[in-house]
Amino acid sequence: MRLVGATLYALRIPFVEAFGHSAGERRCSDSVVVRVRDEAGTEGFGEGAPRPYVTGETVATMLDHLTGELWPRVAERELPSTGHLAGLDAFLPDTRLPGVVAPHAARAALELAILDCMLRRAGRPAATVLPPRRPRVTYSGVVTAGPIDRAVRHARQMRAVGLHHVKLKVGFDDDIARVAAVREALGSEVSLRLDANGGWTLARAVEVLTAVAPLGIAAAEQPLPRDGDLAALRSAVPVPLMADESLVTLADAEALIADRAVDFFNVRVSKCGGLARSLAIAARAAAAGLGVQIGSQVGETAILAAAGRHLAAALPEVAFTEGSFGTLLLTRDVSVESVRFGHRGEAPVLTGPGLGIRVVEKTLRERAVAVRELGAER
Amino acid sequence: MDSDTKRFRDAVEARFARQVESLTDSAELRTLEEGRATPEQCDAFIENVARAHLRSPQLLAFLYALAPPAAAADLRHNLLEELGLEDDAGRSHPELLEDLLAGAGLAHRLPDVAACADEDLRRIVVDPLLYGTLREVGLAALTEIVAFEYMLARVSGRFARALARHRELPPPALAWFTHHSEVDVAHAEQGLNDLEAYVRYYDFTEDEALTIVELALRENVFLRRYWR
Repeated sequence: MRLVGATLYALRIPFVEAFGHSAGERRCSDSVVVRVRDEAGTEGFGEGAPRPYVTGETVATMLDHLTGELWPRVAERELPSTGHLAGLDAFLPDTRLPGVVAPHAARAALELAILDCMLRRAGRPAATVLPPRRPRVTYSGVVTAGPIDRAVRHARQMRAVGLHHVKLKVGFDDDIARVAAVREALGSEVSLRLDANGGWTLARAVEVLTAVAPLGIAAAEQPLPRDGDLAALRSAVPVPLMADESLVTLADAEALIADRAVDFFNVRVSKCGGLARSLAIAARAAAAGLGVQIGSQVGETAILAAAGRHLAAALPEVAFTEGSFGTLLLTRDVSVESVRFGHRGEAPVLTGPGLGIRVVEKTLRERAVAVRELGAER
Repeated sequence: MDSDTKRFRDAVEARFARQVESLTDSAELRTLEEGRATPEQCDAFIENVARAHLRSPQLLAFLYALAPPAAAADLRHNLLEELGLEDDAGRSHPELLEDLLAGAGLAHRLPDVAACADEDLRRIVVDPLLYGTLREVGLAALTEIVAFEYMLARVSGRFARALARHRELPPPALAWFTHHSEVDVAHAEQGLNDLEAYVRYYDFTEDEALTIVELALRENVFLRRYWR
């Protein structure tokens, strides 16, 4: 079976409310969704979320990379057999893009679309390639940037819906007061993590983390910029560290392990280049004794949320899981089924064919700011 | 939270007022009122209003089932009125919405609109619940219902005038709007009383109740339902 057509949708779905962190504020999603079609007419959907401050990709570079590099090298080629992510990973070309860390959002979108298509054609669920080890996944909440009183309101809302794990965006002048206020709102029984999105200097990270450590901090995510000295910080503070923007490729993972730089890896499907590469990085973390968080992209739709859920359900050990906010963040999602988590952040494993959701193509068209049709001919 | 109920009521009313202000300041409503909406946009608005309220009797029945003693009579009255069974009520509200669609030449769209309304109701049931007990679910649902009554008491007359002027709908087609502009002034006041009674009966703290109200009103519920 071969792929004969693809459609790229650059989405712009407004958020219910702005989502801020130290690297910026986001008011709408800017994912790119890929729809592929095989000779039999079976369709599959994938998604990537390009982030200039993570992989270096933008919506424009992602569209161009898919159009000019990735799609021409998979169109009209015989697809690998269903059932092995490694075979799909080998089927996809290993491409580079000047000026970016890795074109992983583009690769993830295409990988997920092809996987969804292959599984749907076979009438099989994602459990075929990612057998779940648990029936449900438990998600964390995320308290965004903004005034401290708003952060406290968000923290109370998360407590009201019974979340056990919450992450707080930091990287501001009032971080110590912010962490204290949110900890008080959450109570002592909720696990609290911090995420600076690379917004601290080494000295500031030491200052804040030393001050807030007595409040019980489960981890501090990406305290320094991508090229910051995480190993030096780790030896200086009593808070476990987590790599996010510093961890895009397997080579990044190896370097972080060799440097003993962090305690956790934040593995995100879009950032890490798809499910196969995410699995490889998570396996490397486990072998090195590191914890794993399955993270998400702010504003991702049900497609990436579904992929993240399959990954989180399949790994032997997952410390924290993020995402599946659905219409808690997006004014409209793209699937028939809701992927939003429920009370306590719990959500069941998706069992339908493919990635387990039915994407509404009409919604993609309505919410797209650009649509590209790609054919098989070169 | 006896001593806090006035403060709770004021805080809720302030949030309702902000939502109404956000609606009346919105580009969507201005476009409708200034006659700049295309016929397709007008029709979509009419269909969305019908979709949003066609199954209100079911939602009111749910809230009636959860009603504390002090609010049960009000909610029963509202439910019977929705069903057209209250004294001199005449047609049921779903029938008034059907009149709206028919008056706009959209009677043929009723099956699709009804199917969407049914699906909306179905999703409420099948989607994972955010809250752990019916106590919180009921407060979130009651908040949204009362928010609509509060808004309709203030804005539904403007909807009716806009549709009469720019879509040339006759008065009988606009009865759903004109009815709500009249009765919902009382409903909204009574709804705030019912919210107070609910949080008191089910032992919410003020913070706890306001947190759920804020979650229910995180986005503008009117724009979300009427301009999808």
